[in-house]
Amino acid sequence: MREAVVQGDADQARALAEALVATDGNLLLAVEAGFAAGIRRVGDLWEAGEYFLPELVQGAEAMKAAMEVILPRLQASQAGHEPKGRVVLGTVAGDLHDIGKSLVGVLLSANGFEVHDLGSDVPVGAFIAKAREVRADIVAASALLTTTMTAQRELVRAVAGADFGRPVRVLVGGAPTTAAWATQIGATHAENAMRAVAVAESLLR
Amino acid sequence: MSAFLDRLGSGPPLLLDGGLGTMLMARGLAPGAAPELWNRERPELVTAVHAAYLAAGSEGVHTNSFGGHPVRLAAFGLADRCEELNRAAVEAARASRARFVVGDLGPTGEYLPPVGHGDLDVWRAGFERQARALAEAGVDAFHLETMSDLREARLALAAARSVAPGVPVMASLTFERKRRGFFTIMGDPLAGSLRALVDAGADAVGANCSIASPDMADLAREARRLVPGRLAIQPNAGQPEMTVDGMRYSQEPAAFAGDLAPLAGLGVAALGGCCGTDPAFIAALAARLRFSP
Repeated sequence: MREAVVQGDADQARALAEALVATDGNLLLAVEAGFAAGIRRVGDLWEAGEYFLPELVQGAEAMKAAMEVILPRLQASQAGHEPKGRVVLGTVAGDLHDIGKSLVGVLLSANGFEVHDLGSDVPVGAFIAKAREVRADIVAASALLTTTMTAQRELVRAVAGADFGRPVRVLVGGAPTTAAWATQIGATHAENAMRAVAVAESLLR
Repeated sequence: MSAFLDRLGSGPPLLLDGGLGTMLMARGLAPGAAPELWNRERPELVTAVHAAYLAAGSEGVHTNSFGGHPVRLAAFGLADRCEELNRAAVEAARASRARFVVGDLGPTGEYLPPVGHGDLDVWRAGFERQARALAEAGVDAFHLETMSDLREARLALAAARSVAPGVPVMASLTFERKRRGFFTIMGDPLAGSLRALVDAGADAVGANCSIASPDMADLAREARRLVPGRLAIQPNAGQPEMTVDGMRYSQEPAAFAGDLAPLAGLGVAALGGCCGTDPAFIAALAARLRFSP
Protein backbone atom coordinates (compact mmCIF):
# COMPACT_ATOMS: atom_id res chain seq x y z
CA MET A 1 0.00 0.00 0.00
CA ARG A 2 2.86 2.30 0.86
CA GLU A 3 4.62 1.43 -2.38
CA ALA A 4 1.52 2.01 -4.51
CA VAL A 5 1.43 5.60 -3.25
CA VAL A 6 5.19 6.11 -3.57
CA GLN A 7 5.00 4.87 -7.16
CA GLY A 8 1.95 7.01 -7.81
CA ASP A 9 -0.05 4.02 -9.02
CA ALA A 10 -3.70 4.95 -8.40
CA ASP A 11 -5.10 1.73 -9.91
CA GLN A 12 -2.92 -0.40 -7.69
CA ALA A 13 -3.76 1.67 -4.59
CA ARG A 14 -7.48 1.38 -5.31
CA ALA A 15 -7.22 -2.39 -5.85
CA LEU A 16 -5.33 -2.84 -2.58
CA ALA A 17 -7.90 -0.75 -0.73
CA GLU A 18 -10.74 -2.80 -2.22
CA ALA A 19 -9.05 -6.05 -1.22
CA LEU A 20 -8.55 -4.71 2.29
CA VAL A 21 -12.17 -3.69 2.65
CA ALA A 22 -13.35 -7.04 1.24
CA THR A 23 -11.28 -9.02 3.75
CA ASP A 24 -12.34 -6.83 6.68
CA GLY A 25 -8.74 -5.76 7.37
CA ASN A 26 -7.68 -3.22 9.98
CA LEU A 27 -8.53 0.00 8.19
CA LEU A 28 -6.92 2.42 10.61
CA LEU A 29 -3.64 0.51 10.55
CA ALA A 30 -3.74 0.27 6.78
CA VAL A 31 -4.19 4.01 6.43
CA GLU A 32 -1.48 4.96 8.89
CA ALA A 33 1.18 2.35 8.15
CA GLY A 34 0.30 1.99 4.48
CA PHE A 35 -1.18 4.78 2.43
CA ALA A 36 -0.34 7.68 4.77
CA ALA A 37 3.18 6.31 5.24
CA GLY A 38 3.45 6.30 1.46
CA ILE A 39 2.44 9.93 1.10
CA ARG A 40 4.88 10.91 3.83
CA ARG A 41 7.62 9.09 1.91
CA VAL A 42 6.59 11.04 -1.19
CA GLY A 43 6.98 14.20 0.88
CA ASP A 44 10.45 13.12 1.99
CA LEU A 45 11.48 12.38 -1.59
CA TRP A 46 10.22 15.84 -2.56
CA GLU A 47 12.31 17.40 0.19
CA ALA A 48 15.33 15.45 -1.00
CA GLY A 49 14.94 16.67 -4.55
CA GLU A 50 14.22 13.19 -5.88
CA TYR A 51 10.55 13.84 -6.54
CA PHE A 52 8.99 16.87 -8.20
CA LEU A 53 5.49 18.16 -8.77
CA PRO A 54 4.37 15.43 -11.21
CA GLU A 55 5.41 12.64 -8.80
CA LEU A 56 3.86 14.49 -5.87
CA VAL A 57 0.55 14.84 -7.69
CA GLN A 58 0.52 11.21 -8.78
CA GLY A 59 1.27 10.07 -5.23
CA ALA A 60 -1.59 12.18 -3.94
CA GLU A 61 -3.92 10.80 -6.62
CA ALA A 62 -3.04 7.24 -5.55
CA MET A 63 -3.69 8.14 -1.92
CA LYS A 64 -7.01 9.67 -2.88
CA ALA A 65 -8.04 6.61 -4.90
CA ALA A 66 -7.43 4.39 -1.88
CA MET A 67 -9.22 6.72 0.49
CA GLU A 68 -12.31 6.87 -1.69
CA VAL A 69 -12.65 3.16 -1.03
CA ILE A 70 -11.65 3.13 2.63
CA LEU A 71 -13.25 6.26 4.08
CA PRO A 72 -16.92 5.31 3.56
CA ARG A 73 -16.25 1.96 5.23
CA LEU A 74 -14.34 3.58 8.06
CA GLN A 75 -17.16 6.05 8.62
CA ALA A 76 -19.71 3.26 8.61
CA SER A 77 -17.74 1.39 11.26
CA GLN A 78 -17.67 4.53 13.36
CA ALA A 79 -21.38 5.23 12.92
CA GLY A 80 -23.19 5.22 16.20
CA HIS A 81 -20.06 6.41 17.99
CA GLU A 82 -20.00 10.09 18.81
CA PRO A 83 -17.13 11.63 16.83
CA LYS A 84 -14.18 13.08 18.74
CA GLY A 85 -15.07 16.38 17.15
CA ARG A 86 -16.44 17.95 14.01
CA VAL A 87 -13.97 19.60 11.68
CA VAL A 88 -14.61 21.85 8.70
CA LEU A 89 -11.55 21.74 6.49
CA GLY A 90 -10.37 23.51 3.36
CA THR A 91 -7.63 25.38 1.52
CA VAL A 92 -8.22 29.12 1.57
CA ALA A 93 -9.50 31.26 -1.31
CA GLY A 94 -7.04 31.86 -4.14
CA ASP A 95 -5.04 28.78 -3.27
CA LEU A 96 -5.47 25.51 -5.17
CA HIS A 97 -3.06 23.39 -3.13
CA ASP A 98 -4.93 20.30 -2.11
CA ILE A 99 -2.54 17.55 -1.13
CA GLY A 100 -1.55 18.40 2.44
CA LYS A 101 -5.05 19.55 3.33
CA SER A 102 -6.58 16.31 2.03
CA LEU A 103 -4.08 14.26 3.99
CA VAL A 104 -5.09 16.11 7.15
CA GLY A 105 -8.70 15.25 6.38
CA VAL A 106 -7.92 11.58 5.86
CA LEU A 107 -5.92 11.30 9.07
CA LEU A 108 -8.53 13.16 11.11
CA SER A 109 -11.27 10.90 9.73
CA ALA A 110 -9.20 7.82 10.39
CA ASN A 111 -8.75 8.98 13.96
CA GLY A 112 -12.41 9.41 14.74
CA PHE A 113 -13.16 12.98 13.74
CA GLU A 114 -16.13 13.88 11.58
CA VAL A 115 -14.54 15.79 8.70
CA HIS A 116 -16.24 18.10 6.22
CA ASP A 117 -13.66 18.76 3.50
CA LEU A 118 -14.65 21.78 1.40
CA GLY A 119 -11.75 21.30 -1.03
CA SER A 120 -9.49 24.13 -2.20
CA ASP A 121 -10.05 27.80 -3.04
CA VAL A 122 -12.65 28.09 -0.26
CA PRO A 123 -13.93 31.59 0.60
CA VAL A 124 -14.13 32.58 4.27
CA GLY A 125 -17.92 32.71 4.07
CA ALA A 126 -18.10 29.07 2.98
CA PHE A 127 -16.04 27.96 5.99
CA ILE A 128 -18.34 29.87 8.32
CA ALA A 129 -21.58 28.64 6.72
CA LYS A 130 -20.45 25.00 6.85
CA ALA A 131 -19.22 25.35 10.42
CA ARG A 132 -22.61 26.68 11.43
CA GLU A 133 -24.46 23.96 9.53
CA VAL A 134 -22.54 21.01 11.00
CA ARG A 135 -21.92 22.57 14.43
CA ALA A 136 -18.16 22.34 13.94
CA ASP A 137 -15.71 22.35 16.84
CA ILE A 138 -12.74 23.16 14.63
CA VAL A 139 -12.28 25.08 11.41
CA ALA A 140 -9.02 24.01 9.76
CA ALA A 141 -7.52 26.09 6.94
CA SER A 142 -4.51 25.37 4.78
CA ALA A 143 -2.53 27.98 2.82
CA LEU A 144 0.49 27.16 0.70
CA LEU A 145 1.32 30.64 -0.55
CA THR A 146 2.53 33.66 1.35
CA THR A 147 0.01 35.63 -0.67
CA THR A 148 -2.94 33.52 0.50
CA MET A 149 -1.90 33.18 4.14
CA THR A 150 -3.70 36.42 4.92
CA ALA A 151 -6.98 34.61 4.33
CA GLN A 152 -6.24 32.58 7.47
CA ARG A 153 -6.27 35.80 9.46
CA GLU A 154 -9.56 36.82 7.85
CA LEU A 155 -10.95 33.43 8.77
CA VAL A 156 -9.96 33.81 12.42
CA ARG A 157 -11.68 37.20 12.50
CA ALA A 158 -14.78 35.82 10.82
CA VAL A 159 -14.97 32.89 13.24
CA ALA A 160 -14.59 35.25 16.19
CA GLY A 161 -17.37 37.44 14.83
CA ALA A 162 -19.69 34.61 13.82
CA ASP A 163 -21.32 34.05 17.20
CA PHE A 164 -21.60 30.28 17.01
CA GLY A 165 -22.79 30.21 20.58
CA ARG A 166 -19.95 27.86 21.55
CA PRO A 167 -16.19 27.82 21.15
CA VAL A 168 -14.94 27.14 17.62
CA ARG A 169 -11.17 26.83 17.25
CA VAL A 170 -9.18 27.65 14.15
CA LEU A 171 -6.37 25.35 13.10
CA VAL A 172 -3.97 26.58 10.40
CA GLY A 173 -1.25 24.88 8.41
CA GLY A 174 0.64 24.86 5.12
CA ALA A 175 4.29 25.21 4.15
CA PRO A 176 4.75 28.97 4.72
CA THR A 177 2.83 29.03 8.00
CA THR A 178 4.54 28.99 11.38
CA ALA A 179 3.53 28.75 15.01
CA ALA A 180 4.44 32.44 15.36
CA TRP A 181 2.10 33.36 12.51
CA ALA A 182 -0.71 31.32 14.06
CA THR A 183 -0.17 33.00 17.44
CA GLN A 184 -0.17 36.44 15.81
CA ILE A 185 -3.53 35.86 14.18
CA GLY A 186 -5.11 33.98 17.09
CA ALA A 187 -5.10 30.47 15.70
CA THR A 188 -3.37 27.19 16.46
CA HIS A 189 -0.70 25.80 14.16
CA ALA A 190 -0.09 22.26 12.99
CA GLU A 191 3.24 21.78 11.24
CA ASN A 192 2.21 18.64 9.36
CA ALA A 193 -0.69 16.28 8.86
CA MET A 194 0.27 13.86 11.64
CA ARG A 195 0.63 16.71 14.09
CA ALA A 196 -2.75 18.03 13.02
CA VAL A 197 -4.44 15.01 14.61
CA ALA A 198 -2.69 15.51 17.95
CA VAL A 199 -3.27 19.26 17.88
CA ALA A 200 -6.97 18.81 17.05
CA GLU A 201 -7.32 16.38 19.96
CA SER A 202 -5.61 18.80 22.32
CA LEU A 203 -7.89 21.64 21.21
CA LEU A 204 -10.95 19.69 22.28
CA ARG A 205 -9.63 18.63 25.62
CA MET B 1 21.97 43.05 -34.86
CA SER B 2 19.61 44.92 -32.57
CA ALA B 3 20.83 47.63 -30.21
CA PHE B 4 19.59 45.45 -27.37
CA LEU B 5 21.74 42.51 -28.40
CA ASP B 6 24.73 44.81 -28.96
CA ARG B 7 24.38 46.06 -25.42
CA LEU B 8 23.79 42.58 -23.99
CA GLY B 9 26.92 41.30 -25.69
CA SER B 10 29.35 43.96 -24.50
CA GLY B 11 30.38 45.97 -21.47
CA PRO B 12 29.19 45.58 -17.90
CA PRO B 13 25.97 43.65 -17.21
CA LEU B 14 22.82 45.29 -18.50
CA LEU B 15 21.00 46.50 -15.41
CA LEU B 16 17.31 45.57 -15.53
CA ASP B 17 14.61 46.55 -13.05
CA GLY B 18 13.12 44.93 -9.95
CA GLY B 19 9.68 43.96 -8.67
CA LEU B 20 6.72 45.59 -10.38
CA GLY B 21 3.59 44.14 -8.78
CA THR B 22 4.53 45.13 -5.23
CA MET B 23 5.35 48.65 -6.44
CA LEU B 24 1.94 48.94 -8.07
CA MET B 25 0.25 47.68 -4.90
CA ALA B 26 2.09 50.37 -2.95
CA ARG B 27 0.42 52.85 -5.30
CA GLY B 28 -3.03 51.46 -4.66
CA LEU B 29 -3.45 48.40 -6.90
CA ALA B 30 -5.86 46.17 -4.97
CA PRO B 31 -4.52 42.73 -4.02
CA GLY B 32 -6.17 40.20 -6.31
CA ALA B 33 -6.74 42.73 -9.09
CA ALA B 34 -5.21 42.29 -12.55
CA PRO B 35 -2.07 44.49 -12.68
CA GLU B 36 -2.34 44.63 -16.49
CA LEU B 37 -5.61 46.53 -16.23
CA TRP B 38 -3.66 49.49 -14.88
CA ASN B 39 -1.90 49.80 -18.24
CA ARG B 40 -5.19 51.26 -19.42
CA GLU B 41 -6.74 52.62 -16.26
CA ARG B 42 -3.72 54.11 -14.48
CA PRO B 43 -0.94 54.22 -17.09
CA GLU B 44 0.69 57.23 -15.42
CA LEU B 45 1.28 55.18 -12.26
CA VAL B 46 2.76 52.29 -14.24
CA THR B 47 5.05 54.76 -16.00
CA ALA B 48 6.00 56.26 -12.63
CA VAL B 49 7.20 52.87 -11.40
CA HIS B 50 9.30 52.41 -14.54
CA ALA B 51 10.70 55.92 -14.08
CA ALA B 52 11.64 55.15 -10.48
CA TYR B 53 13.71 52.21 -11.73
CA LEU B 54 15.37 54.33 -14.39
CA ALA B 55 16.26 56.90 -11.76
CA ALA B 56 17.79 54.09 -9.71
CA GLY B 57 20.00 53.07 -12.62
CA SER B 58 18.02 50.54 -14.69
CA GLU B 59 18.84 50.61 -18.39
CA GLY B 60 15.92 48.41 -19.30
CA VAL B 61 12.45 47.96 -17.81
CA HIS B 62 10.01 45.09 -18.11
CA THR B 63 6.54 45.91 -19.37
CA ASN B 64 3.65 45.41 -16.96
CA SER B 65 2.50 42.30 -18.82
CA PHE B 66 3.64 39.35 -16.68
CA GLY B 67 0.03 38.16 -16.52
CA GLY B 68 -0.75 39.21 -20.08
CA HIS B 69 -1.24 35.71 -21.48
CA PRO B 70 -4.91 35.26 -22.37
CA VAL B 71 -5.18 32.15 -20.19
CA ARG B 72 -4.12 34.22 -17.19
CA LEU B 73 -6.21 37.23 -18.19
CA ALA B 74 -9.22 34.93 -18.48
CA ALA B 75 -9.25 34.61 -14.68
CA PHE B 76 -10.25 38.28 -14.62
CA GLY B 77 -12.57 38.06 -17.61
CA LEU B 78 -10.01 39.99 -19.66
CA ALA B 79 -8.85 37.41 -22.21
CA ASP B 80 -10.37 39.29 -25.13
CA ARG B 81 -8.41 42.40 -24.12
CA CYS B 82 -5.03 40.64 -24.43
CA GLU B 83 -3.79 42.74 -27.36
CA GLU B 84 -5.05 46.01 -25.92
CA LEU B 85 -3.54 45.50 -22.46
CA ASN B 86 -0.19 44.29 -23.77
CA ARG B 87 0.05 47.19 -26.21
CA ALA B 88 -0.77 49.60 -23.41
CA ALA B 89 1.94 47.98 -21.28
CA VAL B 90 4.52 48.87 -23.91
CA GLU B 91 3.20 52.41 -24.21
CA ALA B 92 3.39 52.91 -20.42
CA ALA B 93 6.98 51.66 -20.43
CA ARG B 94 7.95 53.78 -23.45
CA ALA B 95 6.57 56.86 -21.71
CA SER B 96 9.24 56.43 -19.03
CA ARG B 97 11.87 56.94 -21.77
CA ALA B 98 13.69 53.77 -20.85
CA ARG B 99 16.57 52.95 -23.15
CA PHE B 100 15.28 49.41 -23.50
CA VAL B 101 11.71 48.25 -23.12
CA VAL B 102 11.58 44.53 -22.48
CA GLY B 103 8.28 42.83 -23.21
CA ASP B 104 7.48 40.61 -20.24
CA LEU B 105 5.78 37.24 -20.80
CA GLY B 106 5.02 35.21 -17.68
CA PRO B 107 3.67 31.65 -17.51
CA THR B 108 0.06 30.77 -18.22
CA GLY B 109 -0.40 29.75 -14.58
CA GLU B 110 -1.68 26.35 -15.69
CA TYR B 111 0.15 23.03 -15.55
CA LEU B 112 0.37 20.19 -17.99
CA PRO B 113 -1.01 16.74 -17.06
CA PRO B 114 -0.71 14.94 -14.70
CA VAL B 115 -0.35 18.04 -12.50
CA GLY B 116 -3.04 20.06 -14.26
CA HIS B 117 -5.10 20.25 -17.41
CA GLY B 118 -3.07 22.68 -19.51
CA ASP B 119 -3.36 22.40 -23.28
CA LEU B 120 -0.22 23.13 -25.30
CA ASP B 121 -2.17 24.32 -28.34
CA VAL B 122 -4.12 26.84 -26.26
CA TRP B 123 -0.93 27.98 -24.56
CA ARG B 124 0.87 28.40 -27.86
CA ALA B 125 -1.91 30.44 -29.45
CA GLY B 126 -1.96 32.68 -26.38
CA PHE B 127 1.79 33.27 -26.37
CA GLU B 128 1.58 34.17 -30.06
CA ARG B 129 -1.16 36.72 -29.39
CA GLN B 130 0.75 38.28 -26.52
CA ALA B 131 4.12 38.33 -28.29
CA ARG B 132 2.60 39.79 -31.45
CA ALA B 133 0.93 42.59 -29.49
CA LEU B 134 4.15 43.40 -27.61
CA ALA B 135 6.22 43.31 -30.80
CA GLU B 136 3.80 45.48 -32.78
CA ALA B 137 3.93 48.04 -29.98
CA GLY B 138 7.69 48.10 -30.38
CA VAL B 139 9.47 46.22 -27.60
CA ASP B 140 13.27 45.93 -27.84
CA ALA B 141 13.25 42.36 -26.57
CA PHE B 142 11.08 39.70 -24.97
CA HIS B 143 11.71 38.20 -21.57
CA LEU B 144 9.96 34.89 -20.95
CA GLU B 145 10.29 34.65 -17.21
CA THR B 146 9.35 32.77 -14.04
CA MET B 147 8.76 29.66 -16.12
CA SER B 148 8.65 26.54 -13.95
CA ASP B 149 8.24 24.06 -16.80
CA LEU B 150 10.87 23.84 -19.53
CA ARG B 151 8.19 22.71 -21.97
CA GLU B 152 6.27 25.93 -21.44
CA ALA B 153 9.40 28.06 -21.80
CA ARG B 154 10.29 26.33 -25.09
CA LEU B 155 6.77 26.72 -26.34
CA ALA B 156 6.76 30.44 -25.51
CA LEU B 157 10.15 30.83 -27.17
CA ALA B 158 8.94 29.14 -30.34
CA ALA B 159 5.77 31.25 -30.32
CA ALA B 160 7.72 34.50 -29.89
CA ARG B 161 10.15 33.55 -32.65
CA SER B 162 7.37 32.65 -35.05
CA VAL B 163 5.44 35.92 -34.73
CA ALA B 164 8.40 38.31 -34.23
CA PRO B 165 11.59 36.73 -35.60
CA GLY B 166 13.58 39.96 -35.30
CA VAL B 167 12.96 40.54 -31.59
CA PRO B 168 15.66 39.16 -29.23
CA VAL B 169 14.42 36.72 -26.59
CA MET B 170 15.63 36.20 -23.03
CA ALA B 171 14.23 33.09 -21.35
CA SER B 172 14.36 32.60 -17.58
CA LEU B 173 13.20 29.66 -15.56
CA THR B 174 12.55 29.72 -11.85
CA PHE B 175 14.54 27.23 -9.80
CA GLU B 176 14.48 25.94 -6.27
CA ARG B 177 17.57 24.77 -4.47
CA LYS B 178 17.36 21.10 -3.59
CA ARG B 179 20.01 18.98 -1.95
CA ARG B 180 20.93 17.62 -5.37
CA GLY B 181 21.16 21.00 -7.04
CA PHE B 182 18.88 23.52 -8.71
CA PHE B 183 15.62 22.29 -10.25
CA THR B 184 12.30 23.75 -11.35
CA ILE B 185 9.30 22.43 -9.41
CA MET B 186 8.62 20.21 -12.42
CA GLY B 187 12.06 18.65 -12.02
CA ASP B 188 13.92 20.36 -14.86
CA PRO B 189 17.61 20.57 -13.88
CA LEU B 190 19.49 23.89 -14.13
CA ALA B 191 22.19 23.25 -16.71
CA GLY B 192 20.20 20.88 -18.92
CA SER B 193 17.22 23.21 -19.16
CA LEU B 194 19.22 26.35 -19.85
CA ARG B 195 21.24 24.54 -22.50
CA ALA B 196 18.01 23.38 -24.10
CA LEU B 197 16.82 26.99 -24.28
CA VAL B 198 20.14 28.11 -25.79
CA ASP B 199 19.85 25.31 -28.35
CA ALA B 200 16.28 26.42 -29.09
CA GLY B 201 17.60 29.84 -30.01
CA ALA B 202 17.22 32.04 -26.91
CA ASP B 203 19.54 35.06 -27.03
CA ALA B 204 20.01 34.95 -23.27
CA VAL B 205 18.92 32.39 -20.68
CA GLY B 206 18.72 32.59 -16.95
CA ALA B 207 16.90 32.39 -13.69
CA ASN B 208 14.55 34.66 -11.79
CA CYS B 209 12.29 34.58 -8.74
CA SER B 210 11.91 31.84 -6.07
CA ILE B 211 15.37 32.15 -4.55
CA ALA B 212 17.32 34.97 -2.98
CA SER B 213 20.65 36.46 -3.98
CA PRO B 214 23.03 34.15 -2.04
CA ASP B 215 21.55 31.03 -3.68
CA MET B 216 21.14 32.85 -6.97
CA ALA B 217 24.83 33.78 -6.98
CA ASP B 218 25.69 30.09 -6.57
CA LEU B 219 23.23 29.24 -9.33
CA ALA B 220 24.82 31.81 -11.65
CA ARG B 221 28.29 30.38 -11.06
CA GLU B 222 27.08 26.87 -11.78
CA ALA B 223 25.26 28.02 -14.90
CA ARG B 224 28.28 29.99 -16.09
CA ARG B 225 30.39 26.85 -15.78
CA LEU B 226 27.95 24.56 -17.58
CA VAL B 227 25.90 26.67 -19.98
CA PRO B 228 27.17 28.48 -23.08
CA GLY B 229 25.61 31.80 -23.98
CA ARG B 230 24.48 34.97 -22.24
CA LEU B 231 23.03 34.76 -18.74
CA ALA B 232 20.31 36.87 -17.12
CA ILE B 233 19.92 36.71 -13.35
CA GLN B 234 17.10 38.24 -11.26
CA PRO B 235 16.70 36.98 -7.68
CA ASN B 236 14.11 37.83 -5.04
CA ALA B 237 14.85 40.09 -2.09
CA GLY B 238 15.26 37.21 0.33
CA GLN B 239 12.39 35.08 1.52
CA PRO B 240 8.85 36.39 1.88
CA GLU B 241 7.66 36.53 5.46
CA MET B 242 4.05 37.10 6.31
CA THR B 243 3.41 39.25 9.33
CA VAL B 244 0.27 40.91 10.60
CA ASP B 245 1.53 44.11 8.97
CA GLY B 246 1.65 42.47 5.57
CA MET B 247 4.21 40.65 3.48
CA ARG B 248 7.81 41.54 3.93
CA TYR B 249 10.97 40.30 2.28
CA SER B 250 13.86 39.46 4.50
CA GLN B 251 16.74 41.09 2.66
CA GLU B 252 18.35 44.53 2.60
CA PRO B 253 19.52 46.21 -0.62
CA ALA B 254 23.20 46.22 0.39
CA ALA B 255 23.31 42.44 0.91
CA PHE B 256 21.49 41.88 -2.37
CA ALA B 257 23.92 44.09 -4.25
CA GLY B 258 26.87 42.48 -2.49
CA ASP B 259 25.83 39.04 -3.75
CA LEU B 260 25.06 40.11 -7.31
CA ALA B 261 27.80 42.60 -8.17
CA PRO B 262 30.57 39.98 -8.28
CA LEU B 263 28.64 38.19 -11.04
CA ALA B 264 29.72 40.99 -13.37
CA GLY B 265 33.17 39.45 -13.26
CA LEU B 266 31.74 36.14 -14.47
CA GLY B 267 30.39 37.78 -17.59
CA VAL B 268 26.71 37.61 -16.65
CA ALA B 269 24.94 39.65 -19.34
CA ALA B 270 21.97 41.05 -17.41
CA LEU B 271 21.18 41.57 -13.73
CA GLY B 272 18.08 42.75 -11.93
CA GLY B 273 15.65 41.86 -9.20
CA CYS B 274 12.37 40.02 -8.81
CA CYS B 275 9.77 39.81 -6.04
CA GLY B 276 10.40 42.12 -3.11
CA THR B 277 13.06 44.20 -4.82
CA ASP B 278 12.42 47.89 -5.38
CA PRO B 279 14.43 50.83 -6.76
CA ALA B 280 16.58 50.88 -3.61
CA PHE B 281 17.86 47.40 -4.52
CA ILE B 282 18.60 48.47 -8.08
CA ALA B 283 20.31 51.65 -6.89
CA ALA B 284 22.49 49.64 -4.50
CA LEU B 285 23.38 47.23 -7.28
CA ALA B 286 24.10 50.07 -9.72
CA ALA B 287 26.46 51.66 -7.20
CA ARG B 288 28.28 48.40 -6.62
CA LEU B 289 28.60 47.71 -10.35
CA ARG B 290 30.10 51.13 -10.93
CA PHE B 291 32.89 50.37 -8.50
CA SER B 292 33.38 46.74 -9.46
CA PRO B 293 36.24 45.71 -11.68
